[in-house]
Amino acid sequence: MTTTALPNPSASGAGRPPLPVKMVIAGGFGVGKTTTVASISEIEPLTTEAAITEVAAGVDDLTHTPHKTTTTVAMDFGVITLDPTLKLYLFGTPGQDRFGFMWDDLVAGALGGLVIVDTRRLDDCFAAVDYFENKGLPFAVGINVFDGNLDHDLDEVRWALDIPDSVPLVMFDARERGSVRDALLVVLELALQRAEEE
Amino acid sequence: MSGSDDVSGRRAEAVVRALRPYVAPPEEDEPPAGVASPAAPAPASAPGPGPGSGPAAGPVGEPVRRSLSVRPFLVTAGRVSDTDRLPLETQVITTTAGLDALPALTFEQHDIVAACREPLSLAELAARLHLHLNVVRVLAGDLRSAGHLTVHAPQADAAHDLSVLRRVIDGLRAVPDSRGLTRDNNRPA
Repeated sequence: MTTTALPNPSASGAGRPPLPVKMVIAGGFGVGKTTTVASISEIEPLTTEAAITEVAAGVDDLTHTPHKTTTTVAMDFGVITLDPTLKLYLFGTPGQDRFGFMWDDLVAGALGGLVIVDTRRLDDCFAAVDYFENKGLPFAVGINVFDGNLDHDLDEVRWALDIPDSVPLVMFDARERGSVRDALLVVLELALQRAEEE
Repeated sequence: MSGSDDVSGRRAEAVVRALRPYVAPPEEDEPPAGVASPAAPAPASAPGPGPGSGPAAGPVGEPVRRSLSVRPFLVTAGRVSDTDRLPLETQVITTTAGLDALPALTFEQHDIVAACREPLSLAELAARLHLHLNVVRVLAGDLRSAGHLTVHAPQADAAHDLSVLRRVIDGLRAVPDSRGLTRDNNRPA
């Protein structure tokens, strides 16, 4: 199957669609990926969630997030229409390792990625960091400080994560649209810088 | 019916027809549990009184069946999406021919054509219709072959296209935060 449009726009009901681009929001279980997408998406994020008691009781670690009752078992995503010809999709990665087979799908063609970390469980984000590094995808690490507590300073976190200085490390609030926007902009500016160097 | 010459599409339709009587309409807004690929169906989405049928699904042994209790490979007549899979954000739009054919289309095909009057991504389609993504890929391919849909894949090298990246950055900077401030007037320095 080719991936170009059928050469007959007059037969189309809606004409040329907007150019879709996407970014990937990754991170461990319960770090705020869905919240991040919801904060900035113009649509109610389309999420396939099932109550954790149904599908994952005893599998997911709720020790640090005892109030979280659902987890994302498939993809969740939102859309931002940047202008009538350009749509930015934000895809959250599945929260559990066993859905890792979906990652290639999510990452193919993405402009960049944001890895969200919770400093109480830094190791949860290693899978995403490793994956983006291996794929060569421009990414930043965002520390979600939604409860206002950052127990460590950024240098300590950077050391603990063992990420090079070329990977931006930002603090942001997943519930605040402007904060999410700025974190995404850090990723995009890195992507632009990389593309300019090519 | 302009799609009647599409042999594979017709075969898929026949299978779907035979299956549908076992399927309850998805009345509740409960998310589907069918996250497995056709090659590895999720145990939780299998029909039967499994743990995936939900805590409030009624008496044990009488699970509420949802549309996704049909295995994905049945909806697609056993076909899987081809090797060069369309990206998730691929835009799909109904053609005027598709709208004309709408009354003759059934089930998933009807739903897809009806939903795509406005451009939708494959991911949005899958989520809205509670269908597995790869099912949507296969069916969208059928509908495109029949001329009912146009399929617009994203620009393959968008991630390395400076003009696209700049447009995304400019567009995102103009997104206001919750106080209505854009990135540009948010920064005093």
